[in-house]
Amino acid sequence: MKKKGKFGDFGGQYVNEVLMPILIELEAAFEKHYPTAEFQAKLNGLLRDYAGRPTSLYYARNFSELVGSKVYLKREDLVCGGSHKLNNTLGQALLTKEMGKTRLITETAAGQHGLATAMAGNVCQLETEVFMGVKDIKRQASNVKRIKLLGAKVTPVDIGMGVLKDAVSDTLRKWTTCSMTTHYLMGSTVGPHPFPEIVATFQSVIGKEIKKQILEKEGRLPDTIVACGSGGSNALGAFRPFIKEKDVRLIFVEGGGESLESDNNAAAFQIGKPGILHGALMQVLQDENGQIKPSRTRAAGLNYPGRGPEISFLGNSGRVKTGYAFDSQVFEAVKIMSKAEGLIPALETAHAIAYMVNHKEEFDKNELVVLNFSGRGDKDLETIMRYFHES
Amino acid sequence: MNLEKTFEELKNKREGAHMPHVYLGDPHKEFSLKLIQTLVENGADILEFGIPFSDPTADGPTFQAVCERALENGVTPSKCIQGIKNLRDRGVENPIVVTTYYNIPYVMGVGTFMNRIREVGAQAVIIPNVPVEEADVLLAEGKRSSIHVIFQIAPTTTEDRLKKITDFASGFLYVINVEGVTGARESLDDSTLKLVQRVRRHTDMPLMAGFGISNKKQASNVVAAGADGAIAGSCYAKVYEKNLENPEETLPQIAQLVGQIKQGCIEGYRRR
Ligand SMILES: Cc1ncc(COP(=O)(O)O)c(C=O)c1O
Repeated sequence: MKKKGKFGDFGGQYVNEVLMPILIELEAAFEKHYPTAEFQAKLNGLLRDYAGRPTSLYYARNFSELVGSKVYLKREDLVCGGSHKLNNTLGQALLTKEMGKTRLITETAAGQHGLATAMAGNVCQLETEVFMGVKDIKRQASNVKRIKLLGAKVTPVDIGMGVLKDAVSDTLRKWTTCSMTTHYLMGSTVGPHPFPEIVATFQSVIGKEIKKQILEKEGRLPDTIVACGSGGSNALGAFRPFIKEKDVRLIFVEGGGESLESDNNAAAFQIGKPGILHGALMQVLQDENGQIKPSRTRAAGLNYPGRGPEISFLGNSGRVKTGYAFDSQVFEAVKIMSKAEGLIPALETAHAIAYMVNHKEEFDKNELVVLNFSGRGDKDLETIMRYFHES
Repeated sequence: MNLEKTFEELKNKREGAHMPHVYLGDPHKEFSLKLIQTLVENGADILEFGIPFSDPTADGPTFQAVCERALENGVTPSKCIQGIKNLRDRGVENPIVVTTYYNIPYVMGVGTFMNRIREVGAQAVIIPNVPVEEADVLLAEGKRSSIHVIFQIAPTTTEDRLKKITDFASGFLYVINVEGVTGARESLDDSTLKLVQRVRRHTDMPLMAGFGISNKKQASNVVAAGADGAIAGSCYAKVYEKNLENPEETLPQIAQLVGQIKQGCIEGYRRR
């Protein structure tokens, strides 16, 4: 029998005893409240009226011509806040209320999840604290300003390299001291069970909409879905309703950084192996002794050494094809998409775009492709301008 | 000496056990070995021997920095295991409990890891990120290698989990007395007392209290509250980290501190 919270061998609950009872409580609360009509009504109401769902499925005619196949963009950049992250934070904030907890803590790298948590926290009147690596605070300054304006506390993390991996470690530590009153609002399909399941469930609204919209527009399912990712939340959100549809190709694009040499990328599928970090067994960058290696990519939101348990499983089992894009290709992709469709993608999203641009041979002329446009690039404007100015 | 014997002897002497926690390799291996020798010569009964991990999520800032420095200085799991052998060769006879995070044995192979630490003379492991739910492999390999798997109990642990944990536990139980986890301002001894009383209803196994203990008074209080001993770790690192250039110079101060904490364990026992 499939063990709860396991995807093949991946996943599990590798946490300290202090957190185990809290995870068990969270799982029970999710199973109890999520299916109820009241919860669904509240969540769907917020997704519609606050987040702006359903997001559109846009036929990108010019980009299609450029890559030589028929490409639709699933416009998660239109979700209020600028990325898919709000789908999950609204759900978990509602769940936090149901559990009677009063505070949210989380971590963020690109700032998108921190922002989405602060928004959902305010909607549900929960106090919010966001841990963020000092390096990310610098490179995602505009989101930090937004988070602060919303009244959330931003706590800088300067251990390690001052990036996401370190912020997650510190948030876990913090959670062990306040878990009775505080919910850790996990931002991606990572961490110990039940987080990967909860986040994927809330994000699968993306894939459900894709299915309905593509059937309306094309009368058939897509041939291929492409998504970028790190923990895997936007990808799984888009993929989940299609995993059983064996004819639908699923492609997951991770951060290739500068090169595939070690210490120069976030490409855990390419050069990592299974290991245990932050509560779960997952595909992770590590050395021969099992010490976790820091990841490196210009896209803060992909800068994590691990792939979440479910995407680790799907990638290793071959159901999902895993690819990568290098930083240089990603910046080019930003330009290409901006010019072709007038849409500035987030650096994370631009990985999926770069993959298509650089692997045209993998896509047929009549192939129907949905590219999950996970977020908009406003937060990255300075990084993008600096990149093109410098090079 | 084995764990059972150690606890039995201490009971006969009416003393609580003291288990200091040291991560090997900070700032270098030779110092760690000397530090451990100092600790056992001046009051430690059992040794918690840490193998550094890159992301020690159950550790506070002091031990995070310790792990970071040790790894920068090139310590590896194999060098640590060799370190246990060095200690045995130098005549350290106290029981050794190896602490690390699960990825270290997982990557080495849990069975290989258990065999190797047993061969060099360790008695038990603490893997703080493996709760009973995930411990099948650890328990099976522990049994095969005769290595105790130590589990932790926290104030959040429910009654049915407590039962499950005590069913699987061997060696001793590690009682985490985190202050303030319930939001209430309980003192260390109150929360320990409550937890120890709860655990006692399920088992007679020795209980070692850890987290937040850094002086004689705290050690005395947790033992008086019913714990069989006290664990302290970062308080020792805090002494030598002030002089990383010449950490040996801090050994007399550490000798004094471990002596005091052990004294607290003795006095606490006699206050019961
Ligand atoms: C726009 C955008 N896309 C993708 C990601 C990657 O996260 P995930 O793999 O959970 O979708 C992030 C993370 O911050 C993001 O901001």
